Amino acid sequence: MNDNGNILLASGLHKSFGRGAGKVHVLRGLDLQVRRGEFLAVMGSSGCGKSTLLHVLGLMTAADEGSVAIDGREVTTLCESSRNEIRRRNIGFVFQRFNLIGVLSGYDNILLSLKVRGLADGRDVRGVLEAMGVWHVARRKPAQMSMGEQQRVAAARALAARPELLLADEPTGSLDSANAQALLELLVEQNRRQGQTIVMITHSESVAQAATRVVHMKDGRILDTHA
Amino acid sequence: MVPLPLANLWHHKLRSSLTALGVAIGICMLVTLSGLSRGSVDEIADRWEAVDADLLVFPANASDNIAALSGGGLGEKDAQLVRQLAVAGHPAVEYVAPVYIHRGKIGSGANNIFGCAPQDLPRLTGGRRFLEGRVFDPDNNCECYLQHRIGQAGQGVLEISDEELAGNGGLEMVIDRRLARDARLKTGDKVHVLGRDFTVVGVMQEGGLARAFIPRATAQWLGELDRYTMFFVKLKDGVASQAALEALRPRRNLTGITIDQYRGMLMDMLGVMYIYTDTANAITLAVACLFILVSLYTMVIQRQREIAILKSMGARRRFILGGVLSESLIIAALGAAAGIGLSFPAAMGIEAFRPVLTVRITWGWIGVAAVSALAVGGLAAIYPAWKAMKIDVVEALTLE
Ligand SMILES: Nc1ncnc2c1ncn2[C@@H]1O[C@H](COP(=O)(O)OP(=O)(O)OP(=O)(O)O)[C@@H](O)[C@H]1O
Ligand SMILES: [Mg+2]
Repeated sequence: MNDNGNILLASGLHKSFGRGAGKVHVLRGLDLQVRRGEFLAVMGSSGCGKSTLLHVLGLMTAADEGSVAIDGREVTTLCESSRNEIRRRNIGFVFQRFNLIGVLSGYDNILLSLKVRGLADGRDVRGVLEAMGVWHVARRKPAQMSMGEQQRVAAARALAARPELLLADEPTGSLDSANAQALLELLVEQNRRQGQTIVMITHSESVAQAATRVVHMKDGRILDTHA
Repeated sequence: MVPLPLANLWHHKLRSSLTALGVAIGICMLVTLSGLSRGSVDEIADRWEAVDADLLVFPANASDNIAALSGGGLGEKDAQLVRQLAVAGHPAVEYVAPVYIHRGKIGSGANNIFGCAPQDLPRLTGGRRFLEGRVFDPDNNCECYLQHRIGQAGQGVLEISDEELAGNGGLEMVIDRRLARDARLKTGDKVHVLGRDFTVVGVMQEGGLARAFIPRATAQWLGELDRYTMFFVKLKDGVASQAALEALRPRRNLTGITIDQYRGMLMDMLGVMYIYTDTANAITLAVACLFILVSLYTMVIQRQREIAILKSMGARRRFILGGVLSESLIIAALGAAAGIGLSFPAAMGIEAFRPVLTVRITWGWIGVAAVSALAVGGLAAIYPAWKAMKIDVVEALTLE
């Protein structure tokens, strides 16, 4: 597969919500390349479309226009079941709003996601929860956890599967600095040791510093690139 | 781990049980009402099985509605004729039980009131037990007394008071248990019917040909003297019914049929009723299905967010559908089982409340109910699940 080292290649993305006078044009011809093994931080003001971008890259929603290639494979034209397979095989996603399954315990949330991916055996659920400092809430349901605990369980759910591409939407948004640091260390370690590619949205300059590259979003486009 | 469908059902215990209850009510309604409509009609036909006779003889000019035959279309001469019926030169008849039938209201509805001889009562009820009391006028006093008085009067006007009738056992009545319950009667109670005050002297096990019996002499006195509505004929051993009917054929004023033929005719007539009951059952089925559909649909619609989360992890279609389907089917099955279970006490309740009604719960309708619950349960689950799977993850997450 010839991917020129890009695990993600998005070009000319457009996405808008609503219609008529209430129409919001969120992505306006956005281009983005993410190289394999990169840890990319995306920053930008609230409401500029960062989550929308991540949803499009993670195949959670379709762009109105433009193309997305993952591992060199054009995915925008794929049928739903193929997109589903890519989500299962290649992508780990941490939602800004966690999206844990409310009727399952923290532990079972992680186990279920591993089962869905066919990885239930041989993955250390406890280890991931301990690394995130949330082993003590493993038996609780999300409603009985603090926001920060939910966020860490949600991150653990995506990390446990060790996907080659991890998309995380403000994964430290509800965390104190110590816990944020612990999560970042885990991300950096997976990025370095296993070559996992990470795209992380954050509002925090200090969090962004953990990344190997930071991009800024404005007016529905990626502005600039720092090394 | 707890499987997701079970986790969901357990987490929303109240809602799950209410949904199952919704299914149960629909199923119970279907099983009970179908049993009621069929049972009450079938029971009428089945009572003819009790009769210990081979042939039924009634007037040739009887109306088509032989189920509601009453009055005195037959005479004493006809009775003699039938008693002496011979096949191949040998007497063919074991006994003839002549009856005079009135229609009268006892309890909640109109009943056939059979006037028969006391010794014929076991023949018409298939020997059913007395639960309390005894047969009416056991020594046939009333008949003797009436014959005596009629003889005395000659051509003159004959007046017989109720006291005279009652004094000779003429106003005694035997009823079956169902009618006793329906009309709240027990031995010793008075019943006003046919313009007279009868006294209940016995209550029998149900299942006999009629629910109310009085002395034949009284029935004739209140109707037409020396007349009969129909004859129940028991043939001697070894005499074929068809041969006896053949022998009866020259008597053009009489129609003879076998009891089985009569039951067949009755069933044909009641067949018209089945059109109504089947239609009613079909409507009940539709209502029950709608009930189940709504109950389960609202349950599964709340899974759309969860389906979106599963989709975000790339869960296979089979996995998602399987989960939602098993959740729905578990509830449908539990509800159906509860509904079928509930229909038995419901049937008992109906029969206790309206004792002349019969609820016959059949395996056929239990099957229909169970299959519809599962089929509708499956449909109700698949549609919202399929809808949630079709749209974007992000869009599905904002549903609810
Ligand atoms: N489903 C939707 N319907 C209508 N408008 C939407 C929808 N989703 C997002 N938007 C709008 O699109 C814009 C971008 O939203 P998005 O969530 O991508 O922003 P964001 O950069 O992630 O913001 P934040 O930093 O606050 O998370 C916002 O103005 C938002 O109101
Ligand atoms: Mg956002």
